[in-house]
Amino acid sequence: MTDAELVQAVNDVFADSFEIDREKLTPEAQIFGDLGLDSLDIVDLVAAIQKRFSVQVRDDERVRAIRSLQDLYNYLILIRTEQNKA
Amino acid sequence: MSFHLKTVWLNLQFWTIAPLYSVVFGVLATLYVNFHYLVTRDRRRKSRLIRRSLTHYGRGILWCSWPLIRVRYVDTEPNLQPPFVVVANHRSSSDGFLMSLLPLELVQVVNIWPARVPIMGGLVRVAGYLKVREMSHEDFVRDGSQLLAEGCTVAAFPEGTRSGSRRIGPFHGSAFRLAQATGVPVVPLAIAGNERMPPRGSPFLRPGRVVVTKLPAITQANYAGMNPFQLKTDVRETIQTYLESVEHVAPSVAKVGGRA
Repeated sequence: MTDAELVQAVNDVFADSFEIDREKLTPEAQIFGDLGLDSLDIVDLVAAIQKRFSVQVRDDERVRAIRSLQDLYNYLILIRTEQNKA
Repeated sequence: MSFHLKTVWLNLQFWTIAPLYSVVFGVLATLYVNFHYLVTRDRRRKSRLIRRSLTHYGRGILWCSWPLIRVRYVDTEPNLQPPFVVVANHRSSSDGFLMSLLPLELVQVVNIWPARVPIMGGLVRVAGYLKVREMSHEDFVRDGSQLLAEGCTVAAFPEGTRSGSRRIGPFHGSAFRLAQATGVPVVPLAIAGNERMPPRGSPFLRPGRVVVTKLPAITQANYAGMNPFQLKTDVRETIQTYLESVEHVAPSVAKVGGRA
């Protein structure tokens, strides 16, 4: 999966699971402030991300630092790189 | 008397009458509730009496603010049977009192500070108000479900904090998850006109009219296909669209999430 495909797949999760307009899914969009997710929605988001990308991120401390969509893209790219090395 | 002097005078009137009323009502209600409890020894009835007393108290405070503030309540679905989850926009500290307009047994979902104010904190606890920030989501759903099963309506301000303006902030989802967990209707409540009654950081009430509108309920059949995020976004847009229509403001440029 290329970076562009990964970004597209993350955006698909937001559009499909939360019905958020795609034009709002810009890299700088804040997940809490701009997209309107709350801490409980994050649990659903993590579940959807885990299912879509077949990864386990629930217990990863780095998830707590994610604020924007760009942070999420970068995090998942990092996870993918780590998986490829392993 | 100029408009400004009249407003100052009416504020003085309110801030004299309201504390006096609070003291007298507090003493009488305490005596009545405790006497009733001594006779019945029924904690649940005591909680219900306190909730009813808080409703009467809230209505009294709204009376005290007249003619500075004129309040109107509009119910678009008066035959809707409780219990349900009421969700309202949150502009001012007067919103909690406006909940007393709902002719229902009701508990409010409250933030941290009301539970820490002397006297009010005790009432919040005994009345069974849900301190959402101090409990886990599982406990919130458990206690909320129990209250709904007893026929008590749950009212929440899902923005979590006062906006102080006509803007509606992002919604938190706990109240919507509670409705979905129990299958009760979600009732949007639109509060218009009180963003400066009082303004944030000031006790000085500005004169005006407040209209509280209970909008049509979103029943379980309506929200069956929605996840909690979609439901809260839908309700937020319902309230926002209604308020924009009655306040004649341009559509918000700061819409959060959801469909356009």
